[in-house]
Amino acid sequence: MKKIITLLAAVMLCIGAMAQTLNVATGNVTYKFPATQTGEMTYADGSTLTIMGKVFAIDEISGITIDNSAVADGTISVAYDGASAQVIVAGNIAKYVTPAVEGAHVSIAQSEDLAKEITYTLSGSSADGEFYTSGAYKATIELNGLNLTNATPVYSGAAVHVQNSKRIKVKVITGTTNWLTDASSGSQKGCLYIKGHAEFAQYGTLNVVGNVKHAIKTGEYCTIKNATLNVTSAVGDGISCNQYFLIESGNVNIEGTDDDGIQCDLEGTTSTGETTDHEDEDTGNIYLQGGNITINCPGIAAKGIKAAGDIFISGGNIDITTTGKGMWDTEDLETKAACGISADGNITISGGTSKMKSTGSGGKGMKCDGVLTVTDGTLDIVTTGALYYNNGTSENTNYTGNTDNVSSDNYSSPKGIKVGLKTQSGNSYTYSGGIDISGGTITVATSGRNAEGIESKNYINISGGHITVNAYDDGINSAQDMTISGGYIYSRAMNNDGLDANGNCYIKGGVVFAIGASSPEVAIDANSEEQKKLYVSGGTIVAIGGLESGASLTQACYQASQWSKNTWYALYDGDQLALAFHTPASGGSRLVLSTSGTTTLKSGVSVTDGTEYFGGEGNIGGTVSGGSSVSLSTYNNTGGGGGGGFRP
Amino acid sequence: MKNRLFTLLICLMGVLCTHAEDFTHLTFVTVDGEKVSMSIENLEISISGNTLTAGNQSFTLVNLSKMYFSSSDETTLLNELKSTDFDGAAHIFDLNGRKVNHDQMTSGVYVIKTKQGTYKLMVR
Repeated sequence: MKKIITLLAAVMLCIGAMAQTLNVATGNVTYKFPATQTGEMTYADGSTLTIMGKVFAIDEISGITIDNSAVADGTISVAYDGASAQVIVAGNIAKYVTPAVEGAHVSIAQSEDLAKEITYTLSGSSADGEFYTSGAYKATIELNGLNLTNATPVYSGAAVHVQNSKRIKVKVITGTTNWLTDASSGSQKGCLYIKGHAEFAQYGTLNVVGNVKHAIKTGEYCTIKNATLNVTSAVGDGISCNQYFLIESGNVNIEGTDDDGIQCDLEGTTSTGETTDHEDEDTGNIYLQGGNITINCPGIAAKGIKAAGDIFISGGNIDITTTGKGMWDTEDLETKAACGISADGNITISGGTSKMKSTGSGGKGMKCDGVLTVTDGTLDIVTTGALYYNNGTSENTNYTGNTDNVSSDNYSSPKGIKVGLKTQSGNSYTYSGGIDISGGTITVATSGRNAEGIESKNYINISGGHITVNAYDDGINSAQDMTISGGYIYSRAMNNDGLDANGNCYIKGGVVFAIGASSPEVAIDANSEEQKKLYVSGGTIVAIGGLESGASLTQACYQASQWSKNTWYALYDGDQLALAFHTPASGGSRLVLSTSGTTTLKSGVSVTDGTEYFGGEGNIGGTVSGGSSVSLSTYNNTGGGGGGGFRP
Repeated sequence: MKNRLFTLLICLMGVLCTHAEDFTHLTFVTVDGEKVSMSIENLEISISGNTLTAGNQSFTLVNLSKMYFSSSDETTLLNELKSTDFDGAAHIFDLNGRKVNHDQMTSGVYVIKTKQGTYKLMVR
């Protein structure tokens, strides 16, 4: 059967290849009219020849030939060859286009009455060429082994400029590698500029350099399926678009950008909200559904991925590194810092693997002004940058002073995750945004001064997932209430509280291993200074550094008189191992424990098998051997450390 | 598999049908309605000034009305000529309107004006 199909296909190809075609050449442009379509070709007054509606001035025709070459309807091919380019136009669309060729600079204008899609196939190489097209009907651009540098612009500074507001499908032809480099000066918005919405497809590779602004700029939405897009450098963003950005599959590699890796803005002034199949959507949202994204942003205050709307991560592999320091924003009159992923709206993570590393002063891993929701997926965040200070006149990229009396506009703290907004009006504050974590795996490590691991400017609700935080400052901090009802949470603060709620802190369930610094910091803090309280009503709790005084302990808590560093302990709930944990090299002096049943503790145990948690600092389900029992006493919740105090 | 084969067959039929009209000539029509068919085999057409040259045939552009692909030689003759028709032939013109002598007639189409009438003559 396969042979028959192959034979039939071959026959079709042969027959197709035998098509009779009338070729009309006008300079470097050849119009190919299939003999079966031409009908009557009329002459008028010896001055014009009209074929299929295309009117040729007689004196522009450089030759007419007839051959058996084939041409597909609706196609235009542009073949670059050094300082020249050859354009071939299919006869059925000839009357709708006006090509112009100057050397290897090609412009093709579509007429307003065009009502069929044109496919432009670009191939070949030129060190001084460009492709410019304008029109008002959707089109396809095929990059079929194109190497194009626009050295001396004629129509635009872009290497490829599509002045068309409709859907533009960009097929990076499978098996080809393409290079685009725009002019070194000019006003072009991108090396590859598409005024409309761009849909990248096929499995080829496109390498882009943006010498003036962005590498890839689309005026409307941008979607990627299968293609590999490499931005090797850009003065602006790697990819900049409006409406929304969506990657379904493929590869995006961006490096050497002075600004953001991927940025999506609203096209209009008001968001439409997410629409069914994204029809007519203008949200500024970014949808990361699959594929591999690697971004290395060295720019000052640059973001790896930045959305004016929401960001949804449901699949794929994301690896972002930002290395730029902070800066003083002369418009907003405040400091701005680099960040791996940043959204003005919400961030929702339901899948995929996301790694973010920020090394610049004030740099953050992830930030959003709205709500961060994590239901699944993996997040791995590292920040190593120092505290950034700038008051508009002087800058310090390693500020070591106390920020308590410094306007928050004048410094940017490095943080693993920062969520929500706290705005002041007079003496009152408004809190918005928040964090909801019900699943997934989140790992955060920060080492710079003031660097909290996870911070919400409003509430935090944790009902599931695996969270491991090692932070310079607070491990997990909320400006309002923090509620833990499930999940596995490890939060270690080197210089502040392990868990710090500036409202009430509710622990109702889950496994919590919190480590605070020495007094006055604690492992688990609530804002008792403002009559807030820690409530413990459930869960398995290990708190090195103790609890905030005045806690409401519905579930009994116990304390050991001392604990040993770098030692494995086994915490039992009745006769069941609730958690085997490894103590850190430093931390607050108190060890407070709680389980839902009878709580006992062994020290110096060995643990084998089971499941590792908290980056290897915990184990559940393992086999415990050796060790000695530790004497526990009921925790006196009024005698704890003074608490971490109110540290935002 | 059957569906795929069926689709291919349909496509093949479509291609065959499309290709069924196999053209052999490009036929030029002058403003006075006369036709000159040229074989499209290796046919090249060039334009110089007000003259279009197709193969060995030249046309004055203002005298051309149209052209089209045809499946046969559609060259037209106004009347059947007899040898006596040349008796006293007053004028012989090529399609560019140039007056030529009898011995200058090479391959091509000519307009013969005689006392009996006007004829179109193709010299092969």
